[in-house]
Amino acid sequence: MTPDTHHEAPTKHEAIEMVLARLLRLGSIIAAFLLAVGIGAMLLGHTVVAPRIITAGLLALLATPIMRVLVAGLIFARDKDWRFAFFCLVVLCALVAGILLGHEHVG
Amino acid sequence: MTAQRLLRGAYAKENAIILITTLEIFAFAITAGIVGSILGLGGGIIIVPALTLLFGVPMRTAVAASTVSIIATSTGAAVAFLHDRLTNTRVAMWLEMGTSVGALTGALIAGYLDQRVLFILFGALLAYSGYNMFKVRTVELPAEVVPDRVSRRLNLAGSYYDRLLGKRVEYQVTGTIPALIVMYFSGAAAGLLGIGAGIFKVPAMDQIMRMPFKASTATSNFMIGVTAVSGAVVYFARGDVKPLVAGPVVLGVLVGAVLGARLMVRLRTSTIRKLFIPLLVYTAIEMIYRGVKG
Repeated sequence: MTPDTHHEAPTKHEAIEMVLARLLRLGSIIAAFLLAVGIGAMLLGHTVVAPRIITAGLLALLATPIMRVLVAGLIFARDKDWRFAFFCLVVLCALVAGILLGHEHVG
Repeated sequence: MTAQRLLRGAYAKENAIILITTLEIFAFAITAGIVGSILGLGGGIIIVPALTLLFGVPMRTAVAASTVSIIATSTGAAVAFLHDRLTNTRVAMWLEMGTSVGALTGALIAGYLDQRVLFILFGALLAYSGYNMFKVRTVELPAEVVPDRVSRRLNLAGSYYDRLLGKRVEYQVTGTIPALIVMYFSGAAAGLLGIGAGIFKVPAMDQIMRMPFKASTATSNFMIGVTAVSGAVVYFARGDVKPLVAGPVVLGVLVGAVLGARLMVRLRTSTIRKLFIPLLVYTAIEMIYRGVKG
């Protein structure tokens, strides 16, 4: 994407950024592709299939930040950076609890 | 025969209207994506009024689409920011603990607190940080920062290549614990008041942690996707996310965020601040007004 010539030699700290960038790019591309196809289908009048494809795209996007926290946690654990691996775990637990709590409120 | 032709004509007209509306929504969404990615905000400040006032979309549908699009702003822009090392992933993970646990607390105690007081309190906090930001509006990078003990232990210092200055910017981080506490309360407020937490994240990193402004907005951008995700899932479960509205909005924001991130790395800090301060002041006034009006 951008030339990396001006960056210093990769260190343990930098690796995580590149992995997360790749993950987020993958998530964006899948979501953008599904959304574009779904919107195209909607404009062509395929009213049954279009909302489903768009929903799939939105769900792909929704999964990306959760995956991001999970993968970051795994990388920190791999690097034996236990404090930050624990921080990721706290965030993941809070997210899951928030989702479950929200569902409960919906009934 | 004629009836059929008429019907076909009506369909064609309806299709044209759908096409034009979709394109218009798309254009607004691209703008929101650009603004949001440059400032580290979700862009709901543009999307919600545009959808409700210009396109007659119901409030719930608009807020749901806006919440999902926060994830689009975050994901689309983060790729470029991560490549430039503008995002401080360690600071992001540290502060995300505050926002996510705060949001959970906010959801649990909703209904026990006086919303009006909260609106006024957090509105005043934003007004104060707007004032602080105005004082340093021409400063490109913060002066020498002495890291606190926690920051040193957590190894929060960062560095990025500034394309505008043409040099590598190394920086230290301070105010680690106070920033976490502010993030906790702003996370709770975001859940209680339904306002984006990006507007609190940027001042917290800029003014409490004393990070460079670009690193603050990029790191805020990185965090808002995670902040928005629980809300987005809940809106999905409720059926408030309408694919035909949210689809064009989210795709437009995604495209805008990719463009905005490439623009942001070439902008002057003072330019970004000049865009940020009016939004901060506007949000502060709106919140205080809502608190006073009740």
